[in-house]
Amino acid sequence: MSTQSPSGATSTDSLSAPERRRSGTMRTGIAIAIAVILLIVGIGAGYAIGYSLKGSSSSSGSSSNPIQLTETGSSLLYPLFNSYWFPNYTAIGQNVILSAASTGSGAGQSSAENALVNIGASDAYLANASATNLINFPVAISSQLIYYNLPAPLNGVHLNLNGTIMALIYEGDITTWNNPTLEAAQSPTVAAELSAMSSQTIYPVKRTDSSGDTFIFTSYCSAAWSGFPYPVSTSGLSGDNIPNMQTGTGNAGVVSTLGKQAGSIGYVGISYTSSASAAGLQYAALGDNLTVVNGQYASAAADYILPSAQNISYDANLGLQRLDFGTYGLAVSLILGGSYLGAITLTHGGGGTNPTATSPDPYPIVNLEYTLFKTAPVSGSNVVTATTLAATVAFMHWALSTGNYGTNGQSPSAWISAVGFVPLTPEVIGYDLQELATVSY
Amino acid sequence: MEQTPAPQDPEGREPLPPPSSSGPSAPAGAPRTRPPILRTVGRIVPFIPALVPAAIVAAIVYSLLHAAGFSIALHNWRTWQISLPTNFGWEFFGSNWNPPYSWGIAVFVVGSFLTAVPALLFSMLIGLGIAIASVAYLPRLVTRFLDPFVDLLAGIPSVIYGIWGYLVIAPYFGTVLNPYLYEHLRFVPGLGGTMPPSSGLGLPVGIFLLTLMALPITTLLIRDSLRSVPRDLWESGLALGATRWEAMRRISIPHAKGGIVSAGFLGFGRAFGETVAIAMVLNLVAVYPTNFYGGTATIAAEMFSILDSAYGNSQFLAALSEMALILVVISLAVNVVGRLFISRLSATEIAGL
Amino acid sequence: MVPTPSADAPLGTPIAAPVPALAAQDVLFDRSARTTWRLGFDRWAGWLLPLLFLVAILPILDLVWYISKTAIPTLTWEILTSFNYRTVDALGVPIVSTVEVLALSTAFAVLLGVFGGIATAEFLSDRSAGWVRVSANMLAGTPSVVLGYFGFFTFCIYAGWGYVMMAGVLTLAFFMTPYIFRIADLAYTSIPRPIREAAYGSGTRPHQYIVKVATPIAFPQVLNGIFLAMAIGLGETAPIVLTTTGSKILPPNLFAPVTYMTALIWADFSSPSGSGGYDVALQCAFLLVVAVVGLNILVRVISARYRKRLEGLYQ
Repeated sequence: MSTQSPSGATSTDSLSAPERRRSGTMRTGIAIAIAVILLIVGIGAGYAIGYSLKGSSSSSGSSSNPIQLTETGSSLLYPLFNSYWFPNYTAIGQNVILSAASTGSGAGQSSAENALVNIGASDAYLANASATNLINFPVAISSQLIYYNLPAPLNGVHLNLNGTIMALIYEGDITTWNNPTLEAAQSPTVAAELSAMSSQTIYPVKRTDSSGDTFIFTSYCSAAWSGFPYPVSTSGLSGDNIPNMQTGTGNAGVVSTLGKQAGSIGYVGISYTSSASAAGLQYAALGDNLTVVNGQYASAAADYILPSAQNISYDANLGLQRLDFGTYGLAVSLILGGSYLGAITLTHGGGGTNPTATSPDPYPIVNLEYTLFKTAPVSGSNVVTATTLAATVAFMHWALSTGNYGTNGQSPSAWISAVGFVPLTPEVIGYDLQELATVSY
Repeated sequence: MEQTPAPQDPEGREPLPPPSSSGPSAPAGAPRTRPPILRTVGRIVPFIPALVPAAIVAAIVYSLLHAAGFSIALHNWRTWQISLPTNFGWEFFGSNWNPPYSWGIAVFVVGSFLTAVPALLFSMLIGLGIAIASVAYLPRLVTRFLDPFVDLLAGIPSVIYGIWGYLVIAPYFGTVLNPYLYEHLRFVPGLGGTMPPSSGLGLPVGIFLLTLMALPITTLLIRDSLRSVPRDLWESGLALGATRWEAMRRISIPHAKGGIVSAGFLGFGRAFGETVAIAMVLNLVAVYPTNFYGGTATIAAEMFSILDSAYGNSQFLAALSEMALILVVISLAVNVVGRLFISRLSATEIAGL
Repeated sequence: MVPTPSADAPLGTPIAAPVPALAAQDVLFDRSARTTWRLGFDRWAGWLLPLLFLVAILPILDLVWYISKTAIPTLTWEILTSFNYRTVDALGVPIVSTVEVLALSTAFAVLLGVFGGIATAEFLSDRSAGWVRVSANMLAGTPSVVLGYFGFFTFCIYAGWGYVMMAGVLTLAFFMTPYIFRIADLAYTSIPRPIREAAYGSGTRPHQYIVKVATPIAFPQVLNGIFLAMAIGLGETAPIVLTTTGSKILPPNLFAPVTYMTALIWADFSSPSGSGGYDVALQCAFLLVVAVVGLNILVRVISARYRKRLEGLYQ
């Protein structure tokens, strides 16, 4: 290779300099860069070496090393855990730090099954939980609302909807807001406003992630209409690809999509009411299912119920008091499938009995919020150990008592009410305590 | 040794340092020997770090195959048996994705191509234009400032593109651009049909973001390959009376064909494998979009959104892993082919791409 | 015949009658319509093509401007340094966690990539080096979500760690390795041959050559590559989201959950505006943009200086 440099003066100049001489600025630049890199790598390595020299003492719960519990799963439970229960539990000096994540009930179930996290949160009951050493442990009672985004004046009124109409919307039979079946359920003024709307396409919103809210919603639709084609599961609507279907990731994503799309309708957990109202959305009053009269859908007795703590409690009581815990465990979605005088759907427990209802009215979509955790430490895992399992059980005790009923033990805790949930009934708490006794660590 | 003058270069540079003795001084004339074991180890050990990337790629493919349910049972050295996963039938390549009933992944493959191919076309056209402008039309002073700007696009994380697309571009498209296209260009096939949703999430934003992400790659590669055209070719073209555009078109671009082809492949590879930004701005429904405004699902975005919940169901996991294998095969093929045409200089520039 | 001026004519008198101007049609340019078109097209191209730069530059300006204008008013020093696990808008934990994870990943990636690059450049034959380079390109070309899957299957499930920091660190390190590998490889192979041959010719052993001769020359480029890999690792989401879960506190050891800023943005991006989650997402986005753009500019500055320096060495 030629040692002659082809160009002129510049290369000759630097050729005469020894190889190792660098310009002063280059040297300074390199020095600074070395310093920066060493600093960063040093910090990281220092943390790593220093802390891992302490061994796995973070799960020993010494005063300088709190026990760390991780939770993932349901976005419906996430506001309760993340904003209220977890910080307040740590604040009362338990030396346990709990971290929440909102990834969907399906993720909560599978993460708990595989011992990837300590607590998996799910709105849907996990069947065969004992096969993987899990227990379904309800911690609260929540409900689900149907939100829609319509222009004024419709965003000030609560539309009257029911399970059949929702099933028809999500199945693609009802595609516009001025559909006669839809209007037949409304009061005359609202029906007139619906048909007077300029743009009328309905945009249903579903969840992309594997969601307990989808489980609840598909339970409601299939209990209301036998022709509902989609399965009742956390990913039940993944085959639902009708035109105009919109999506959202997590309850927050659904609220966001609803807010951006005029004419959209979707199912949202009750813990997101504040952000939904802030986005200009309105929720529906739910009532009786439609009956078929002369080949047409017609409403039965018109009694449309708004979600409120009272109505939700009443529905929960109707169902839970009739539950045979010994036979059916706690596999229950408290969906009122027929008329509010009709059967309460027990998803895995079989049929219920007809309650005789007086006031107040039961809100139809109510469900138990489950947490899933292992009943014994998992060998070889550094997530579910004896220490963390003990801490989980202690937290669950607190959740059943102070978390649900506050420090005075009488009325629902402020935290539960803040997210719109209602506390567990004494029967469920009793059953929970029985289940907790089966956890060994 | 001291009597001979130090060796000098003809150009009069500094004398070379005297040959240094290496290691402990040996008696004159006796060769230095190492124990044979060290010699063998010394031959093998340096090669080990070089195999790290290959090992990681092999581990990735193995873990995906394992999760997909493939297993190879070695009965003896002559007979072995591959068992295929349970859902590896022809309907796997169908388009009906309805877990847990049917596992047709064609929707995702088509969706990935539907988002990546238009993005590639746009980014190639724009990248070609920018490169030509930079090489032939703009003064060097200007390009010295503008080129790094375009290259900076490559450094922006995709989650930032996603959040900007979600908060700024999607509402703009949904409220301004899509309705405009729908109203005025409805006759164009693909721009009519159902009305575009006003949320704006869908193919337009997705393709826009992918174009921006593939643009710096295509621009850089085309620009480098155009710049590496020998100056005398270019100048002789101009001397013969060609305009700059004609010199570009007839001289430089044919000369730079390799770089342009590379740009296409690598830009496509980038757009095809993009995950997070697509998951944020595309309306992820597993369906063929009926018109330009709808949403669809891509392999990477679907994989990303659904892994957490799929892990409980081994069939679901197998389907996802097989999708991942398809993604890997296509990405690897595109990348390897794309790099075949790159010159050494460009390789230096794009080592970070 | 050339007319001559009379001797007594003043200076400046025109010699002869002025030549009449040629009419346009007598001019002998053969500027056909086609040529006019060609020249016109070229001129228009000279205006239109540079405008395409705007297509690239305007979005990035808009992105940076939007994120800055939304995030900066909400950023305060308290938020940046708060390690309070009870409030939503406390960025101390995410920032320090991100730096930790990035530092560890970079350390692993440097270990794997630099040694691998040196080995490829120095010890392998051209054929083997070709295959190794192909494998590095393949690793660089795998989408990040596939690496996230690999990390999830191997570290979270098979090794039984769960969603911990170490899984994220290793996955991110594997993602960053090929970039450092390629640049180290290029740096060591582009050391000028005369230097290399002189070193080996005077009896330098390979390890001495690498340490004393090659590394000082290749060092700026390798450093550059490390910064580039850091910029890439800082912006990766999929490998971290699929292998870790968030935490409110700094990870007490390597096998604890950790919060990475990109994962935080992914979790919070659809939060309604005005809520704490939305603010956090945009603040993290702003910090990431600043860090990544800063690193990219640093990379460019170093590479410009290095190229100038390399031009001086004889090739």
